[in-house]
Amino acid sequence: MPTRDRSLVLVPILVAGLTLTAAAQDAPDLPTTADRPGHRESAEQHDEAPPPEVETPPLPEGMTLDEVLERAASPPPAAWPDPVPDTRPYVFAFVEQLEWRFGADDAPDHLGWEAWGWAGGDINKLWWKHEGEAVFAGSDRGETETDLLYSRLVTPFWSVQAGAQYANEWHGGEYEDRVSAAVALQGLVPYKIELDASGYLSEDGDVTVELEAEYDVRITQRLVVQPRLEAGIAAQDIPERRLASGFTDVALDLRLRYELRRELAPYLGIRYDTLLGDTADLAEAASETTDNLRVLAGLRFAF
Amino acid sequence: MSDDFEAPPIDPITRRRFLVTAGAASLAGSGLVGPLGAFAAGLPRAGDPGELVATAPGGIDLTLEHRDLLVGGSPGRAIAINGSIPGPVIRMREGEEALIRVHNRLPESTSIHWHGILLPFDMDGVPGISFPGIPPGSTFTYRFPVRQNGTYWYHSHTGLQEQLGHYGQLIVEPADRDPVDFDVEHSVVLSDWTFEDPHRVLRKLKTMEGYFNFQRPTLANLDDQMHATGMSLREVISKRLAWDRMRMDPTDIADVTGATYTYLMNGRAAHENPTFPAQPGQRVRLRIVNASTMTFYDVRVPGLPMTVVQADGQNIRPVETDELRIAVAETYDVIVTLPDAGAYTLFAETMDRSGFARGTLAPREGMSAAVPEQRRRPMLTMADMGMMMHGGMAGMEGGSGDEHHAHAASHRPLASGGELPTENLIDRIEHGPARHGPESITMAQTAYRRLDYPGAGLGEDGWRVLTYGQLRALDRPYGRRPPSRQFDLHLTGNMHKYVWGFDGRKWSDSDVIRFRYGERLRINMINDTMMSHPIHLHGMWMDLYAGGTLETNPRKHTVIVQPAELLTVDITADAPGQWAFHCHLLYHMEAGMFRTVAVVRSLGGGPIRADA
Repeated sequence: MPTRDRSLVLVPILVAGLTLTAAAQDAPDLPTTADRPGHRESAEQHDEAPPPEVETPPLPEGMTLDEVLERAASPPPAAWPDPVPDTRPYVFAFVEQLEWRFGADDAPDHLGWEAWGWAGGDINKLWWKHEGEAVFAGSDRGETETDLLYSRLVTPFWSVQAGAQYANEWHGGEYEDRVSAAVALQGLVPYKIELDASGYLSEDGDVTVELEAEYDVRITQRLVVQPRLEAGIAAQDIPERRLASGFTDVALDLRLRYELRRELAPYLGIRYDTLLGDTADLAEAASETTDNLRVLAGLRFAF
Repeated sequence: MSDDFEAPPIDPITRRRFLVTAGAASLAGSGLVGPLGAFAAGLPRAGDPGELVATAPGGIDLTLEHRDLLVGGSPGRAIAINGSIPGPVIRMREGEEALIRVHNRLPESTSIHWHGILLPFDMDGVPGISFPGIPPGSTFTYRFPVRQNGTYWYHSHTGLQEQLGHYGQLIVEPADRDPVDFDVEHSVVLSDWTFEDPHRVLRKLKTMEGYFNFQRPTLANLDDQMHATGMSLREVISKRLAWDRMRMDPTDIADVTGATYTYLMNGRAAHENPTFPAQPGQRVRLRIVNASTMTFYDVRVPGLPMTVVQADGQNIRPVETDELRIAVAETYDVIVTLPDAGAYTLFAETMDRSGFARGTLAPREGMSAAVPEQRRRPMLTMADMGMMMHGGMAGMEGGSGDEHHAHAASHRPLASGGELPTENLIDRIEHGPARHGPESITMAQTAYRRLDYPGAGLGEDGWRVLTYGQLRALDRPYGRRPPSRQFDLHLTGNMHKYVWGFDGRKWSDSDVIRFRYGERLRINMINDTMMSHPIHLHGMWMDLYAGGTLETNPRKHTVIVQPAELLTVDITADAPGQWAFHCHLLYHMEAGMFRTVAVVRSLGGGPIRADA
């Protein structure tokens, strides 16, 4: 398959964040387009023997042939507009989830949201990601994470991103926040799975990684079911965040949306999330629940 | 004001009666003013273009302004030329001088490009290359000698104005006897219209991949695909997974579709049924131009053969066929003859089958014939990635015996010295390891000649379909000689991010392409993308290698380069100045699939940045 020899080996590496390597290309044994000149090579290799005479065409009024040829050899006047505005920046914002998460049994309901957007050109963008969850029943509590990143398209399907994250948490009157350095690799893997792998180094020196993968299964042209996986990893124990080294948590969502328009889709879904490993043990020791199954209802929309 | 637009009568010597399309497509055809408000009901309809003669004494005036018109029965804000979309049919006479005053009453700059016309570069109408554009409130005068004849068109070359109706047909009467024999003629201007702001359309393309495609593979249409292809469920699924694995969509045939477009024939939607009057036995010449921004049309008249007599304004050896694909910006002239007093449908189905334009050929107004059922939308195949090396693909020209010759030819000294061959050109080339960077999803592993392949979705209906391989010039065009220089130009794009270009670069990141004044050069276009691109060179002809000889290969102003196609054109660089060279899909062009070509004295010296 053609994608094989140029497919990317993506290695999300703990500690230092993420690196990207390209698989080596197989050397083809047939003559290829690589042996042939582009317009610049062709011009450079060309000898300057006088070209055959051609009938002089009509010229712009008041200009001689030499003047036109000379004019053609320089860029057009700076005051003229570009013939195509292909550097025009765009601004896009996408609220991928804005949903009510109904708790099972006597667990409280949550409001959950996740949004992202960008501004910029084809290669370089300013990218933001924001997600959060809040509970209003009982004591008021919640958390949000906001990433602001410079994003650069490095291969047709992959962007590397770097910037900072601001995260906060509140519970009753308590409030905590932290700032982290952030790097991310974002793109489309073969089989059209959207992947976002982000690594964070907090102001306290803690390293964590978050992975998100999602895939659209089109049932009809407008009805789409989207499985989605999120996983968290910590590189060390972080007692103040009640995280233990290793995989800390995983969430599996399934959302069924109906695209009224491509940019406007109500949906229903389910979400199962659970703490893992030592992180789960920490929660259990504190008599907290370690897993939840929730029913979702929400709206997805773009600007 | 209307006095300004009064055209002097056309040269009385001509034996032909010019049928004004305006009269041809009357309100009677539709009976559909429908449930529109008083506001809408009072609006004029799109599709009353009228006709002007630009080489007549005193010249002509064109006034550009925003105008509310009924398009397909609904009110839309158009850029009208002399009050209509399409703009008036402009006629010229070969050998005379055209004089056109363009009055810009838009609140923005504008331009008119005379598509396919050879003229001094400052009359070519491309803002930023030939001139600065026509500022709002001002008048620009186009004046140039007319040195050719045939069917052409004109359109805005500014921003996305073309999407709003800024186009019309241009017909140049031959100075000598017309080799095409006909009794009546009709303009057929195909186009696409949206009620959305075109900038919104582009933004959607840029921000949400596949926004307008509502014919994607789904679980619900698995069954349909099995029936259509005869494959088992397992085969269909494995095929789909293969496409998913490549992160490609085989249904990505058109970027912008019937989801937003209303498809127009002479400014009229299909239900408005424009009529083209013709009596039984008459030779009817249809001058078909595709003035769309993004839509390839497949044109046929069910029940009637069409004889193609002209392509891109150039007379060709007549070819009888049943259907032809016309790319954006191409023109074809065909002759049809009604065998009886019945009505015949002129059917123009979009390549992605998401809609159609339609009219009726009939002796009287108000007649109509059955409208054919729309066909299933095509899907891309492995052949569109050049994966047919040993498959005996239909449409693969040249025997395997040529292979040695072909590969030998590709090793010959590349660019300098002697003459390049003009016949039996290499028929395929492997793609090298260069991937053109993040702005190109390079799909085609092998580029090959597809001159006999009619294109995705055509050729399997049991009737004849025109191919480039059938086009042969009627007479040997001037300036034909073997080229002495060549280069490859890759058509590239990243459909995931909606970036389009050549050799992996957008216009703003590119160098000017230099042609040496007087030289004969060859461009081998290699389409690395999965879409067909209509490539247009301004100011000079492209002599298309269509499998013929120096004598017979046709010349074109716009050529379709299909996915994975290797397509060769030879050019005589006889037009000094700077020119545009670009994909004529409007949103591809706007996204960067554009180059500046400079016809200069010397090829030496460093690169000239296109975006100074």
